[in-house]
Amino acid sequence: MVTRRTLLKTAAAAAATSVFPTPAIGQASKKITFLTWNIIDQKELIEGWIKRFQAARPGVEVEWLDKKGPDFGPFYQTQLTAGTPPDVINTQGALGLEYAAQGALLDLTPLLAREAAIKSRFDANYLGNWIYEGHNYMLPFYITKTLLFYNKPMFAKAGLTGPPTSFDEILSHAQKMTSGEASTGFMTLNFDWLYWPLFAMNGVQLVTPDLKKTAFNTPKAVEVLDKLAKATQANAINKISWTGRWVEPNGAFGAGNVGMLHAHSPAYFFFKGQGSWVTPETLGVAHMPGFYATPNSHGLGISKGSKNPELAWDFLKFVTDNGQAGELAERRKLVTGNIAVDKASLAKLEKEDPTVYAVLKTQLEHTDKMTGNWRFGNDSRVKEAFWPEVQSALLGRKDAKSALADAERRMSRELARA
Amino acid sequence: MTTVAGAGAAIPAGHPRAGWWGTQRNRQLALIACFLLPSLVVFVLYRVLPLGWNVVLSFQAWSPLKPAQWIGLENYVEMWSYDDVFWVALRNTLIFIAASPLAIAAALGIALLVNSDLKGATVYRTIVFLSYPLMAVAVGIIWRWMYDERGGIINYALRASGLVDRPIGFLQDFDWALPSVIFAEIWQVLGFYMIILLTGLQSIPQNLYEAARIDGAPAWARFFRITVPMLRPSLFLCIVVGILNSFSSFDLVYIMTNGGPGHATELLITHIYKSAFVETKFDYAAALTVVQFSLLVVLTIAANRAAGGNAGAVERD
Amino acid sequence: MAESTIRRATPLLALRHLALVVVSFVMLVPFYWVLKTAITNENIYAYPPGILPREPHLYNFVDVWYLIPFPRYLANSIIVSTIAVIGNVVFNALAGYALTRDFPGRRAVLALFLSCMLIPFQAAIIPAYLVTAKMGLLNTYFGLAFPLLSTIVCIFVFKAAFEAVPRSLIDAARIDGLSEWRIIVRVLLPLSKPAIATNVILSFIWSWNNFLWPLLITRDPLMQTLPLGLARFLSYMEDTTGALYAFAVMVLLPSILVFLMAQKEFIRGLTSGATKG
Repeated sequence: MVTRRTLLKTAAAAAATSVFPTPAIGQASKKITFLTWNIIDQKELIEGWIKRFQAARPGVEVEWLDKKGPDFGPFYQTQLTAGTPPDVINTQGALGLEYAAQGALLDLTPLLAREAAIKSRFDANYLGNWIYEGHNYMLPFYITKTLLFYNKPMFAKAGLTGPPTSFDEILSHAQKMTSGEASTGFMTLNFDWLYWPLFAMNGVQLVTPDLKKTAFNTPKAVEVLDKLAKATQANAINKISWTGRWVEPNGAFGAGNVGMLHAHSPAYFFFKGQGSWVTPETLGVAHMPGFYATPNSHGLGISKGSKNPELAWDFLKFVTDNGQAGELAERRKLVTGNIAVDKASLAKLEKEDPTVYAVLKTQLEHTDKMTGNWRFGNDSRVKEAFWPEVQSALLGRKDAKSALADAERRMSRELARA
Repeated sequence: MTTVAGAGAAIPAGHPRAGWWGTQRNRQLALIACFLLPSLVVFVLYRVLPLGWNVVLSFQAWSPLKPAQWIGLENYVEMWSYDDVFWVALRNTLIFIAASPLAIAAALGIALLVNSDLKGATVYRTIVFLSYPLMAVAVGIIWRWMYDERGGIINYALRASGLVDRPIGFLQDFDWALPSVIFAEIWQVLGFYMIILLTGLQSIPQNLYEAARIDGAPAWARFFRITVPMLRPSLFLCIVVGILNSFSSFDLVYIMTNGGPGHATELLITHIYKSAFVETKFDYAAALTVVQFSLLVVLTIAANRAAGGNAGAVERD
Repeated sequence: MAESTIRRATPLLALRHLALVVVSFVMLVPFYWVLKTAITNENIYAYPPGILPREPHLYNFVDVWYLIPFPRYLANSIIVSTIAVIGNVVFNALAGYALTRDFPGRRAVLALFLSCMLIPFQAAIIPAYLVTAKMGLLNTYFGLAFPLLSTIVCIFVFKAAFEAVPRSLIDAARIDGLSEWRIIVRVLLPLSKPAIATNVILSFIWSWNNFLWPLLITRDPLMQTLPLGLARFLSYMEDTTGALYAFAVMVLLPSILVFLMAQKEFIRGLTSGATKG
């Protein structure tokens, strides 16, 4: 009996002490939480920003959380349901629009209207990526869009003089560089509509301008899909284009036996690390035919449930300011959407690193030809309705006609419900 | 199962220990309730309540920040009539579950082999178990890479040994994808089945085997007449774990194929997760959860019946 | 009699070893691949894949130690797993014993436990978070361990082990006047060492590898557990290079250690000449 009692007592004591969080979180008069998407490699930079921000505003505390892509959704939705959403959030791609549609984000339009200087900081086309139903919901944090990388030695070997200038040329160039499984001509990323320029350059529209109805089930689209499927079967387009995510396609291009890679600018840094063949002389950089590109940018927004929206807006302005944006551009070698910063950093890169300069230059050119960036509030659902069907056709499992018909049926349902 | 002598003996009224607490039986019941309580608290909070939340939500239209609207069976109708992915996921889940008896049989074989005075049994045991403590995410990434057409060891071995001319896209091919995923899952979970079965094997009294051997029973008879029946509770447990692996191996499947290509490896759990956290259809995901739960309950009840009820408990002595 | 058994035993023995060696090979090949990649930095998609590691180095492992507060995360994981393991062994033994007794509503409780197993955590994320928040356990060690304090599989492991104890022993103890608690501690548990070992191993692994729950309820970066901390350290791109594999190995090792320590309980049946064939 005695042993049992003491056992229970010690257990209770242990449980009680472990309830309290360690270490204790200090009480600040004003606190905001900053949630970022997968940018933990810039820990030093962001912590520096926060220190500066806090120093200039006594009594203010900024808590920084970073989540990787797949973890972001569950975390944010849980916090939203619990009523404690992070004040400032950074999202990738169309997720910001989905959160806006969900009613989770603060409408920034009145704030931007009040401070024209802030609005004019940014490239209008990129800023427009986060306009949902006529309202701004996010500011650009850093921006990317797709471009064409190509393997110059492989081009030379196949007797090709320059990058393709049309869809059919993409396919024929690819075919020329294909040799059994040893080498393949073309590869693309496929997530977040990144492959869409292949369709856009053929005049295929996904939806009507009002986003209410599908518009892709046309003979032309069937033809395009069919050609792509046939090229995939001939290994001119590697299957990984349709089944891989990030590591496989970029890794394959880095391995040096893929002729062309259609990806957005961060891919450069990844495959450069993987491939010793990548030098300024061997890597070609170009726009896709028609200059079509899918953007995949990172935006900054404010949660509607924020308890300190003024402070959050202050922070937002601070992070996208020339100082901070400039530091990010330099550290991460990217384009921020802040016009002045991008101009300066590109000028610098032109001298320091011509290849990176060439890659990043494409991100700011032809921003009026951005495609694959419909302002869907239900982007994920539309994607889930469309992509698996198209993927089945591309991999030869389904014929193009019935794939597009099925995709039309499923997407129409989603669009009708929006 | 066990009854206690003198359980019903009542204490005369007026005695200080009379009342409900008076009978030994009632005190025993109270004690049993206390024993069950801690676990019940954990399960009620983290399983039963969430299930209830899902059940209620499945009849509503809701997303975080929007008020919940009652829509009755609409989510279920959507699932039944319009969602092709649901049916594919259902089929794949059943295939996944159907593969577990194979894994359990293999694990039983291994358990029998190492459950002896074999030299190095400890080493073999550890090697087989090594894969289980690996995080499912890591297992998914490792196997995705091993199955790769270019740098993957499996294709390399197949081609080097001349068995195939062209690499097989294990995770890209619509027909190969699900078996490939299942094989990776079995690779990971084999060690788990093994220790459950080992624990069960340890509890079989040796005198039963001695008696059978004296009676001249051959090895296979000893196996089927003694080992298998005595292992019923452990086998039942393995079957149930096999059933729930169809969702507990979520990380593995999600990382390996994300349900692709197309929906060739889509399981009910990946469909639930994507509906909830990618498509923000929490209400629909709740309906899917309820359907999956019901399906698994039916399968578990069937397994329990087949094991003789009471989780396969064996009558002793 | 003795000679014939010896003569029959040798080829059978060799066969058993062969079978086990084949199985071991299949189980180990992926590990070899993981280790090989963890100590090199080669492009894993190059063809043909290299069988032997080229330019091996240990930088991946060293980097981890310096780039994240490794000792702190390790300590967090150890604390949370210790709470979980203790909770599991105690609660599961009690519940497992209760289920061996006959009481009204037993079948209902059994059914309840079995069905609790069938509820996936992904479907329970939001309610689990809200419940934990209500209890004020967010961002605490206990909150991290709470959902894992008891697991149904392990309860049934104890139940099966207790039921395997000859009833005569239990009845004798009861006649001697031992209380229920004493029966468990003095009679049943000592005879169920493999079950305890299994409980320890499994609850340790499940709490150690737990990723999604700590992800959701820890806010303070210093409260993170090791898998979470290591995952955040990884390259910001989805990464399949050496760093990830070093991570996988490091998270794996403690569970293997626990297994090695606990598995001596499985040897119990050795001396009694267990099943042959």
